[in-house]
Amino acid sequence: MKLLLFVLLLLVFPGVLYAQSGYVEVTASGNRQLKLAVASPHSLDASPDPGSAKLVSDIITFDLNMSGVVLAESRLLLSPPVNLSLADADFALWQSAGFDLLVLSEYSLKGGQLTIEYRLYDVTTHKLITAKRFLGAAKDLRRFSHSFADEILRALTGVKGVFTTRIAYVSAQTGNKEIYIMDWDGHNPLPLTRNGSINLNPDFSPDGRQIIFTSYKRGNPDVFRRSLSHTAEVAISTRKGLNITPCWSPDGNKIALALSKDGDAEIYTLNKDGSHPTRLTINPALDLYPTWSPDGTQIAFVSDRLGNPQIFVMNSDGSNVRRLTTTGNYNVNPRWSPNGNRIAYSRMTSGGFNIFTIAPDGSADTQLTFEGNNENPSWSADNRLICFSSKRSSGNGIYVMRADGSGQTKVSHGKETDFQPAWSTH
Amino acid sequence: MKKSMVTLLAALSMVSLLAAGCANKEAVKKEEAVVPPAAVEKVEPAKPAEEAKPAEKAAEAQPVQEAVTPAATPQAEQPAAAENNFETVYFDFDKSDLRQDARDVLSKNAELILKSFPNAKIQIAGNCDERGSAEYNLALGERRAKSAQKYLITLGVKAENLSTISYGKEKPAVLGHDEAAWAKNRRDDFVVIK
Repeated sequence: MKLLLFVLLLLVFPGVLYAQSGYVEVTASGNRQLKLAVASPHSLDASPDPGSAKLVSDIITFDLNMSGVVLAESRLLLSPPVNLSLADADFALWQSAGFDLLVLSEYSLKGGQLTIEYRLYDVTTHKLITAKRFLGAAKDLRRFSHSFADEILRALTGVKGVFTTRIAYVSAQTGNKEIYIMDWDGHNPLPLTRNGSINLNPDFSPDGRQIIFTSYKRGNPDVFRRSLSHTAEVAISTRKGLNITPCWSPDGNKIALALSKDGDAEIYTLNKDGSHPTRLTINPALDLYPTWSPDGTQIAFVSDRLGNPQIFVMNSDGSNVRRLTTTGNYNVNPRWSPNGNRIAYSRMTSGGFNIFTIAPDGSADTQLTFEGNNENPSWSADNRLICFSSKRSSGNGIYVMRADGSGQTKVSHGKETDFQPAWSTH
Repeated sequence: MKKSMVTLLAALSMVSLLAAGCANKEAVKKEEAVVPPAAVEKVEPAKPAEEAKPAEKAAEAQPVQEAVTPAATPQAEQPAAAENNFETVYFDFDKSDLRQDARDVLSKNAELILKSFPNAKIQIAGNCDERGSAEYNLALGERRAKSAQKYLITLGVKAENLSTISYGKEKPAVLGHDEAAWAKNRRDDFVVIK
């Protein structure tokens, strides 16, 4: 049976392979991209709210298009809606409309109580690939839809999406630089700090529940930690001079950062409570902006030891320092990808800052942005996407793009004063 | 070699001591407003008991008498007024070394500190223009503040009275996206904090 399905799939779309049981591997390179229709959800209520239906299909379509895995399109139902569990969709109509995959859903919204079920079908084989049912409040509609988009990617590629994750960032919308958090697509922005001082460079804990950041609220650039669910802020490093660019280790036990307590900015690691500083760089140059390799054995950082800022890599005990970037004379903001394969960074070129990625051995240096000023790249947990801050003609704010630079899209909705984004892993 | 260093250091400290001494006297004459209230209290009760002392004391009593009024005004106003007396030091792009004009400004600021604020705590705030990366500029701003700090110390200002902070590019003096604005933002500001 499985073999038959395999052969059929190969015959119908050559780009689709079963890499291992449980999901469909999409290898679209050289072939056309799979087309996925997100049909308007069917409401089970007597007087349905059209806004909610549109929201669901817009969210799933946007998420999947940003992933680059499929080409998604919001569509009205091609035939009169039927209860999902009662009858199959009219697959022939969807197939002749050119679609390979189909998302159907139905929901009920009564007295603020939301019930929604989503299904992903293979149009050609009429097979149900995956389905999910959620119960919650009306406000959960966005989150549930993002969650099913995550599930679609898991079902198609084996790696779930990041559409339920969030981005922390700095916004000057009040006139002060405060830390905010928003959904990955820019919705539900929420202020985290309100101290009226300068707050910079947020970074998430690996479990996504806490952030660390630099704040001048006590008159010096110090590092604080707070959880997303409580307003209490704990001082992590208030040493003399700079306490800047903190970065949580992948295992959550350490924080790498730059301190200038011993003269100029140097890279240190601390225990996560801020104790036991270990100095990693000893150099009259400025050393800052550390980022860990996913296995925690290496740290990339910025140093101007050769006269201008360049990116270097060292072992996480400070040994074996080597230069990573050799092109350009102003390279900053390194961020190691979660799979370890690439390091994203920002280079000042004659036209402004642009985002690049490079392999950790210094090969395959690739420019991803070409317009305006683009800084502070941060990876999504699935390595598919990079968020960054941009000032460009189409608007200033937080942008998201695919790891190959395609699909650059502004996601922040604020007053164009948002910058220094950091993507959560959960 | 070592000996000549020691002699040089001794000479330098003598000079700075002298400078500090002169500064104190001149401050009393010219800048009544900055006589600390403590000094006023100390001298005043002494006055009636010191009639037999040399004329020098009597001369000194005069400005102190005048100083009573300004000293009674709220203390908070003094640093605010004093801040404006310091001149700003400017830097070249991505540089923290002191240009000749910066050295001249620092000499004036040192003189002002030694004369008027010999015991005040002064913070040097390093700043950058908007072009570099925010994080690198935090470190660069600190380097700029420390350049000025080092130079002021060689001019005789007490190291323990000087502190530094960097605001990177987060606190521009002027808004604008041209060289004129950038040049005004690559700077060290001086603030009396205590």
